[in-house]
Amino acid sequence: MKHQFVAFMASMVAVSVSGPVLAHHSFAAEFDAQSPIELTGTVTKVEWMNPHTYFYIDVEDENGDVESWALEMGSPNGLMRRGWTRNSLQVGNVVSVSGTRAKDGSYKGNVRSVVLASGQRLFAGSSQPDAEDSAN
Amino acid sequence: MIRTATTLAAAGLLSVSAIAPSFAQRGSGPSESPPPPTPRLADGTVDLGGDGVWSLPWITDFSKQIVEGAAADGKAPFLPWTKAMHEYNAETHVAYDPEGFCLPPGGPRSFGTPYPAEFLQQKDRIVVIFEGGAHVWREIHMDGREHPSGDALNPTYFGDSIGHWEGDTLVIDTVGFNEKTWLDFGGHMHTDQLHTIERITRPNRNTLHYEATIIDPGAYANPWTVGWDIPWSEGQELAEYICQENNKFLLDLKDDFGNPFFEKTAGAE
Repeated sequence: MKHQFVAFMASMVAVSVSGPVLAHHSFAAEFDAQSPIELTGTVTKVEWMNPHTYFYIDVEDENGDVESWALEMGSPNGLMRRGWTRNSLQVGNVVSVSGTRAKDGSYKGNVRSVVLASGQRLFAGSSQPDAEDSAN
Repeated sequence: MIRTATTLAAAGLLSVSAIAPSFAQRGSGPSESPPPPTPRLADGTVDLGGDGVWSLPWITDFSKQIVEGAAADGKAPFLPWTKAMHEYNAETHVAYDPEGFCLPPGGPRSFGTPYPAEFLQQKDRIVVIFEGGAHVWREIHMDGREHPSGDALNPTYFGDSIGHWEGDTLVIDTVGFNEKTWLDFGGHMHTDQLHTIERITRPNRNTLHYEATIIDPGAYANPWTVGWDIPWSEGQELAEYICQENNKFLLDLKDDFGNPFFEKTAGAE
C-alpha cells in the first residue's frame, strides 16, 4: 500500500482571517471533500500565479517510492493577506501540507494550510467553501 | 524519513454538500463599542469611501440570502427551466460556472465575489472597482440620464447602470445584461430580460448593507430580493488579481461526456 492511512481526529481550529479568498472555480468538481490529505515532502517547484498558486512536492513513502504532488492554493493577492510572500516556499524546503485530494485520484490536491520550513503555519486560501478561512 | 499520510477524516468532520453552503455574515454583529457613524461628504451625501476597502463576502447561494420574494419553499421563485438548470448545476458541481472560466461576475454577484472593492464617488458617476471577478469595474451614471433604448442598449456582462440617491440609500437600476453569467456560484441562472435594482446603505462607518432585487420574467416567477452586509477593512488597499493568468481548472475541464470542454466548444470534431 502506497499510503499510510491514519485516523484523523484533530479538530479544525476555526480562525478569523481578514480578507476573502479566491472562489473562482468549483471546488467540488475537482476535489473530493471526503479525501483529506496530510503530506510532508520537499518542494520542487513553485508557481506564484493567478488564479491559483501551485507548488509541487516530492513525497517519499515508507518503501522509498517518490510521489510528485501538485498542490493548489489561493492567488497571490489572497495569500499575501494571509502572511505569505513569493519566497515563503523555496525549492528544497521540506513542508507539511493539509488539504484535499483530487477526485480523479491523481497526486493533486487543494491546500488548506502549510507548515513552512520555518515552522510557521499559514492558511492557503482554499477554494473549498467550508474551509476554515474560505469566508472573510 | 518523509512519509505520506493520507488521512481519513472523522465522520462528519468535513461534511460538505455538493453545492457550497452559505456563510454566516461577519462584521455586522454586536461589538464592544458602537461603530463610528456614517461618514459624509461636505454636502451631506453618504461617503462610500475612506481609507480602506470593503471586504466583500463570498455569497455562494442566493437562495439563502433572500429577504423578500422567496417561493413557498424558501428558495428563489424559479420558473421550471431555471429550477431544472439549478438542479443540473448542482449535479455537475457547478463546474460550468462562468466565473470559473475567469469571466466577470455580472450584476449583484459582483458584490458577493471574493476580494475587496472600493467606491470612487463623483457627482456625475460612481465607479466601483473590484479586485476579484477579476480586476473589473462597474460605472454607475449619476447624471440623471436614462438607459439607452433599442439596439443602443448592447447586452454586456455588467449591463447599463444608472443611479440616484433616495435619502441615504444609493439606488442603482441596471438593465442590458447578457446571458453569459450566473447570478451566483450556486448556479441561479438568468436571461437578458434581467433588470436589477440594487440598494446600498452605509448604516455606520464599518458596514455596507447591500440589497439587490432581481426582476427577470424570463427566469423567475416574481421579483425577489437578496441582501447581505459587507464589512469595512480600515487601512487595507486593493491588490492585483488577474484570474486569466494560469487557469488550470479551465484547461483541464471536461464536459459531461468526458471530453475537453473548450476543445469541444471550439468546434473540433
